[in-house]
Parts: sequence; C-alpha cells; structure tokens
Amino acid sequence: MDIARLKRSFAAIAMHGDEVPLHFYADLFLKHPETRQLFPVSMQAQRAHLVQALATIVGSVGNVDELSAFLRDLGRGHRKFGALAEHYEAVGDSLLATFAHFSAAEWDAGLAADWSAAYQLIAGVMVAAAQADEQRHPAYWTGTVIARERLAFDITALTVRTQPRLDFVPGQSVAIESPARPRLWRYYSMANAPRSDGTVTFHVRLIDGGAVSMALTAGDVVGTELRIGPPAGALRLDTGSARAVLLVAGSTGLAPLKAMLEQLADQAQPPAVHLFFGARAADGLYDLPSLEKMAAARPWLTLVPVVSAGPGPGRTGELPDVVCGYADWSQYDAYLAGPSEMVTDCARRLAAAGTPAAQIHVEDFGWSEP
Amino acid sequence: MTSDPWYDEQKRLTPDRLQSVIFPLTRWGRHGYEEEPVRAFLTEVQAEMVRLINERASLWQEVQRLRRRILGKENGNDAILFGKDDAHVHAVRILSSAQRTADRYVADAQAYSGRLTEEARVRRDEIMRQAQQHADMLLEEARTRARAAAVAAIDRDGLPPQTDQERRAVQAELAYLRTFGEVYRQHLKIYTEDVLRTIEDWESKERAAAREIPRGSS
Repeated sequence: MDIARLKRSFAAIAMHGDEVPLHFYADLFLKHPETRQLFPVSMQAQRAHLVQALATIVGSVGNVDELSAFLRDLGRGHRKFGALAEHYEAVGDSLLATFAHFSAAEWDAGLAADWSAAYQLIAGVMVAAAQADEQRHPAYWTGTVIARERLAFDITALTVRTQPRLDFVPGQSVAIESPARPRLWRYYSMANAPRSDGTVTFHVRLIDGGAVSMALTAGDVVGTELRIGPPAGALRLDTGSARAVLLVAGSTGLAPLKAMLEQLADQAQPPAVHLFFGARAADGLYDLPSLEKMAAARPWLTLVPVVSAGPGPGRTGELPDVVCGYADWSQYDAYLAGPSEMVTDCARRLAAAGTPAAQIHVEDFGWSEP
Repeated sequence: MTSDPWYDEQKRLTPDRLQSVIFPLTRWGRHGYEEEPVRAFLTEVQAEMVRLINERASLWQEVQRLRRRILGKENGNDAILFGKDDAHVHAVRILSSAQRTADRYVADAQAYSGRLTEEARVRRDEIMRQAQQHADMLLEEARTRARAAAVAAIDRDGLPPQTDQERRAVQAELAYLRTFGEVYRQHLKIYTEDVLRTIEDWESKERAAAREIPRGSS
C-alpha cells in the first residue's frame, strides 16, 4: 500500500470541499436507499463530520495506536446510529466511487486497489470493535423522562430512568436523541453519582434554535422515551490521589462536577474540596440552593459562586481570574468543565501558576462526538 | 445546474455591484459603517459564492464526463455522449441538489426558531424588568405608609388608640392595607400565570409543529 500516494490522492480530492461528501451520500442513498433512514433530514453537519473523520484517519495513518483507538471508538460510537456490518460494505463502495469520481484522470487500478485495501483495514477495525462491544452493551439505552424541573429560565433538570441500567463513572457523558428530533444526537453529562434506583439527571440548557435542547426542555417532555448512547468522556476522579480537590464549573459544566462531588461525598474521608461555580449573571447560577445546602452540611466543602458581571451572591469577575487569584492550587487535583474557552483558559493559567499538567483534568469527549 | 427555489436571477450579485456598493456611515459623527447593511451585504456575497461554487462543481463534473466519453471513443468504444454511468452521476447530482435544498430549509427553520426564542428571551427580560419596577414601587408605597403610620403613632405619644373612633379608624386603615395587599397579590399572580401560560402555549405549538415534520428520509 503506497501511503504517501493515498495521502496525496486524498488532499487532491479534499480540494473539492463539500462536493465530496455530498456526492458520497447521494451515491450511497441511490445505491442503498435503506441507509437514508440512518441519517438526519439535514445532512449539513453530517457531511462535515465525515470529512473530519476521513481527514483524521488519513492524517494519523503513521500513528497506528492513535488511529486504531480512533477507529475503535468510531466503530462503537456508530452502533447507536443503527450501523450494521453490512452497511460498511455499502459505504466502502460509495466511498471508492466518490474518490474515483473526484480523482478523474489520476484514478487507476493501483490507486483503486490501495484505497480499497485501506478501507478494508479501517472498516475491519470498526466492525470488530462494534462486535466486541455488542457482547457488553446494548447499541443504545432507552431513557424514560420521569421528572422535569426548571432550575432557571433556560436550564432544565431532566431525570431519566434507563432500560437497562446505565453504568457510568461520575464525570462521563452520553449522547441523547429525542424522538421529536430523530437522528440528532447531543452530549449531556450525568449530573449525579450512580444511584441505587438507577435514575440519572441531566442539566439541559435551552439554546436559541437548538433543535435537541428545545425538544428536551419542552413542557410535555415527561414520559418521553429518549435514546441514550454509551457513556463516554475521559473526565473522572483520580481516586488514587490523596490531594485536595479543585472543581471549576462554568454554567452547565456543573453537571459532571456535581456528579464527582457526590462521589467525593460518599467517600469515608473526603478530601478538602473547593467548588467554583460561575455564570454570566446571578440568575445563571441555576443550582445554587442545592449546592449551598450541600456545603452547609459538609465542612470539607467550600463553595464559591462567581458571576462575571453585575451583583451576585459570591465573587465578581471572569472565572479563571477569580480561581487563579483565590489561592495557590499547585498541590490540588483540578477538574474543569464548562464552555471550552473558559476551560482552556483556566487550564492554561493553572498550569502556568504551577499545577502539574497531570493534575489538571478537563472534560473531553475524545473521539466519540457524533 | 442548480435551480434553487429561493434563487432569483435578477438579484444576483455582479462585479459591478461590488465596485459600486455604498454602505451608510454611522451617525453621530462616529467613524465607520453601519454594521447591519455590511452584514446583510456579506450574507449576499456568501450566497453568491455558494452558487458559484455549486455551478463550478457541476461544470467540472460535466467536463469530466465529456472527457471520459472522448477517451472512451479514442479507445474504440461506442461514441455515445450519455451512458449508464452518466445517468448515475446525473442522479447523484439531482439528489445532491435536493439534499442542499433540504439542508437549507432545515437551516432556515432552525434560524427562525432561534429568532423566536431569542425574542421570547428579550420579552421575558422586559417583563421581568417591569415586574421588578412594579414590585419596587409597591414596596416603596408600603414603606411610605408604614412610616406615616409610625409617625402618627409617635404623635400620639406612643399610646395605643384610645377612643372607639380612633380604633375604628385604625382598623379601617388596616383593612384597607390588607385589601390593598391582597388585590395586588392577586393582580401579580394572574399576571405571572398569564406569562407562564403564554410560554407554555408557545412550547406546545412548537411541539405540535415539530411533529408535523415527516421523520427520516426527505
């Protein structure tokens, strides 16, 4: 297999931009109409995902470990979409036809054979990972919404009973699909440590025009059966550490950290914990009463609410400024979740102020973003 | 060729328009252009670019097809200009165009619903602000009355009202304040409930509308 040639070939094909995935999906749907129902009505985001995944695969061909980890996650992640082993063959056919179409004069038997062999390898890893996963997990969990509580004007807590029971580690997230918006999946973090009754709670922020968030926060959502993907994400408590803990939550980034806080509270001797909870304005500190109650009953927990502007119950300023100006965190395990800009900035500044990188944990969906 | 329904040949952006476009200057003597017209124009430029790219892609594909035909002819194949493979490429092109139209409709609907919720948010903020003002006003009024009542009490050397007449007057005043408070409480309650009902109506309409959208394939 001439890898350098495949890379050159892909670069030339990718020059055609959105036309490439557009052609690919049209080709696939014409040859295999039954695959159309696996995708949402609008394919705009889907096309971007495909190109991104292809670029990642081609870009990491040299790094076998990274590539196979990516492909295994991709294979497992595709189970919830209803992808079956036979679909992989159809996808391979259309992908090759699309590459041939856009390669034009460049396309010859050698290139076709190389692309075909490369695809067989890729699909092989994905299918194998998906089949191994079948032994352990369903393709998706069914989650019935049993309670809906509006925590703030635009933030709703949904409590869901899953079938079968969803086992997860606090800090993890799942992709959720609402029947009102089929084939659109969005990630939400579990906002609780595993409960004896197996229910889970999500904090859903209503996004203007956000298809899934609007469906999930609607008034009649109780009773709805959601589809829930497998737990994903690398954020989790370093249970082997004896260090004190710093939690920094921006807005609904609170959800995974609250789950971890519950996990800490269950420990026989919880470490000292500082929780910074930030929002733009006071009414964005949506879960403050329950956090205050928690802090009042637990001397090891210090709660610091932060608003970036205007009057608030705690400190005023940008979250990373307040956190870094508050104390020396170099001996702490830091866990950050929230808007990616805030998380990146805060992680960078903690590292600059002396917290070792290994002690800074941020929310990361890895390769599993749908 | 793309033939989008929202596409209007007459309104196409021309190089001449790019040359001659005039943006209004901001008022009040500040430097720079009004943001809104510039944004609108950028949207137009973007739409035009999308059209051009689509057209270019179609033409490119057509060139490729014809090139293959010619090569086939040179290799001694039948010199047909439109074969079975071409029919498939043609079908792919039609489906691609339909998909783009669908994507556009979904994006438009999403943008529309985004605007609706944004408007609702603005209205909510306005309602909250007014309610806050109203509450502040009521509170201020109550404080004034309480102060007046206290002053009146002190004027009587702190003694409770002695005569029946005085007692009746104070009771009447108390009854008035109670009624006043009750009426305003009711008033605020109805007002708040009405706001909540409107929001819920919106939500259920939104849900109903969403259900009418056919699922799966388009």
